Amino acid sequence: MDMVSMGLLAAMGALATVAGASEDLESDVGSQSNPNSQVQLAAQVGKPHRIYNKAVSGEPPSNALYAALAAVTASVLMSGYGMNAFFAIAIGAVVAALFNGIYSVTAYMGRNTSQARFNQHVYLDILRTHTTTIMAHAYITVFCVVSISYIMTADWLPIQHPFPMPLVAFIWGLAIGAIGSSTGDVHYGAEREFQNYPFGSGLNAANSGDIVRKAEAGLRSSIDNAWFCAKFGGPATGMAFGLTVFLDNWRTTIFDPATQGWFAILTGVVIVILFNVYNRILEVRARKRYGPYPEYAGEIEA
Amino acid sequence: MIAFDANMVVYILEIVIGGLFVGVGVHFVPVGGAPAAMAQATGVGTGTVQLAAGSGLTGLLSAGLMMSVTDNMLMIVISGAVGAMIMMDATMIVGNWVYIYGVGVPPVSAKTDYDPITKDPQPPYISPGTVGHGIPTVSYVSGTIGGLLGGAGGSLIYYSLMNINENPGLSGFFAIGIFVVNAVLASYNIQGTIEGFHDPKFKRVPKAIQACAAASLIIGIIAVLITGGV
Repeated sequence: MDMVSMGLLAAMGALATVAGASEDLESDVGSQSNPNSQVQLAAQVGKPHRIYNKAVSGEPPSNALYAALAAVTASVLMSGYGMNAFFAIAIGAVVAALFNGIYSVTAYMGRNTSQARFNQHVYLDILRTHTTTIMAHAYITVFCVVSISYIMTADWLPIQHPFPMPLVAFIWGLAIGAIGSSTGDVHYGAEREFQNYPFGSGLNAANSGDIVRKAEAGLRSSIDNAWFCAKFGGPATGMAFGLTVFLDNWRTTIFDPATQGWFAILTGVVIVILFNVYNRILEVRARKRYGPYPEYAGEIEA
Repeated sequence: MIAFDANMVVYILEIVIGGLFVGVGVHFVPVGGAPAAMAQATGVGTGTVQLAAGSGLTGLLSAGLMMSVTDNMLMIVISGAVGAMIMMDATMIVGNWVYIYGVGVPPVSAKTDYDPITKDPQPPYISPGTVGHGIPTVSYVSGTIGGLLGGAGGSLIYYSLMNINENPGLSGFFAIGIFVVNAVLASYNIQGTIEGFHDPKFKRVPKAIQACAAASLIIGIIAVLITGGV
């Protein structure tokens, strides 16, 4: 372990945290991934809305595409034109954000025009204001993910990962999408979309599609949703991706895989055991704090 | 140019075993799909393939790094498994944070009356109109096992391909492809949602083993031929 490696590792963890937060907010503004099912359903159950509706694909494949696209562009600019890495990654991220914008616009227009029979309209002001917000978040995500990949693969830096940079970016893009879809989106889907129901009730299947459509003043837009999710869901996603990138690389930084490989593996196993113990503590505390459902009438005692 | 010898059969077998690890591992991963994202079903609120691929390929990165410094198969495969478990566990912990602190529901399973590991009663904590929410201990442990198998499987496939062509980029791409084929096959068997090894759907694993073995064998032969340079 040397100080440069440790500093780079810290930078990777910080970049990953920022990337995770912006990835989640990007999907919240656009209603991508699983909460999209409710946005899609809302108009069909007689509740047309002004929420952005883009289901480009599952988050992991779309983010893997954006990250790989940016990494390929950056690689070409660096190796073919000798461009500085910082500018090459920035330009790569712009290309990925443009692709994101194209997919978002086509997804929004396609989805909403197909729901015209349910009085769901295409709102051009939403298209104009929200698409740029989505692209801006995608830019931040991709820039951070490709920067992490560059740190892991660059010739002149201590971490020498054997995979080419676009492949590393592809894998991290896939991972960040999986994490964003598993963590932050729940805050949007289960809480923000259904704030009209009591906190802690989950979503009764009978209430599906009844999403909140009105804001404190006027009608709710997806930028309001990003504002709400930026308070918890976004940072939590950043935490998850930051933890993944940091802990996975930390164990191979403090123990050189070439000479102390088994120590690196053992550290990982200890981290996994600690996670399992912590989850149990979390579960016990939650059950104690919230208690059983008040109107529960079954035979099994709490 | 690849030589046709006994080693080639061993490589193909390793790919098949890796594929089986992935296929079985996906059954352990507790995913609730879209309903889980609305706190309407137990498990992680995403798709099976998405989460399994996210964790398994994170493990592949760890295995790739390890393989650049050692030839010890056990070390490479376990390193991949540990990398995948770390990703899976970090995701599930933060997922539970969101369920508990953001949505206000305790983790609870609807497929069993008592948690098989902690013996905690489950039905009193289920909100009406839902089939559980969050990631209870049994699902968490199951997910960790899923990460282990997925990471180990992906790493074994990568190890095998690397022995053939010694090109990390090419081997990595093919390993991702074979991984995703097996993960998708297994998720058809699950049909969207599963809570973990205590879920009745878990009994369908033998079917997945047959399907994944057949698919891995075909794709293994093709992968060995293509990456070997025939």
